[in-house]
Amino acid sequence: MASTVIGANITIEGEVIADEDVVVQGTIRGKLSAKEGVTVESGAVVEADVSGGPMTVAGQVTGNVTSTDRVELQSGARVVGNVKAARITIADGAHFKGNVDMDV
Amino acid sequence: MATATIIGRDTRVHARVSGAGDIEVQGHLEGELTVGGEARIESTATVAADVRARRIVVRGAVKGDLSADESILLEDGARVVGDVRAPRVAIAPGGLVRGYVETQAAGAKPASRAVTPARRVDGVRAVPPAPKSKPAVVHVAAKHAAPKGRGITLAGGKAPPPVVPVLKKGTKAALTKRR
Repeated sequence: MASTVIGANITIEGEVIADEDVVVQGTIRGKLSAKEGVTVESGAVVEADVSGGPMTVAGQVTGNVTSTDRVELQSGARVVGNVKAARITIADGAHFKGNVDMDV
Repeated sequence: MATATIIGRDTRVHARVSGAGDIEVQGHLEGELTVGGEARIESTATVAADVRARRIVVRGAVKGDLSADESILLEDGARVVGDVRAPRVAIAPGGLVRGYVETQAAGAKPASRAVTPARRVDGVRAVPPAPKSKPAVVHVAAKHAAPKGRGITLAGGKAPPPVVPVLKKGTKAALTKRR
């Protein structure tokens, strides 16, 4: 399965549109939209609105997060922004500031 | 080893991409690409951006200028519209280029061909050794006089004539005639 990886030393300022998985280890400023899963790894910095399928966040996200599936904020994640998803899990030790919107 | 960055084949990026490390583009990139390591433009890639890196390997389509600190390798399948500058430039059979190609580009380690004309200019004015940017001026002035295909070597340094002639901008007609 092909996927896109933004490595740890890379900065992207602009828009990333993927029809596949995206793994972020570096920095994205702008907009990130994926059709498949999005993984923001520990050490990654995302200053962007993020949309996509299942999301796993262990790094830092500033922006609104929208997922068609689940959002998982792992321990060590720092998220500032609104999260809209079908399911959301926030692990003990994750920092989060924003609104949560789930299908209730 | 730096982490590999991959722009997958189903991904479109409209952005300025920069940083250390290597990058591999399989998808679409529009904007600007600057990396400290190697930039690989794969056969499925379409890149509309100026590309700067230590090394550049192209197998796909690029519209924009390529400049590398070490080398640029245009492999079979490469389609480049733009200028190509690096100390070493190799165009493999099947690589297509339309643009100005310059080896030993400014900013590179001094080599005899690049330095000689620069010294001549400096000697007339009795100026101390030129800063690194100075040879660039000389090159630009000399580029119109340079014969087509000059300075191009195939990978490995052997010299079978390039299968694909390197064109300067606006010489498409000349190519057609020759063929």
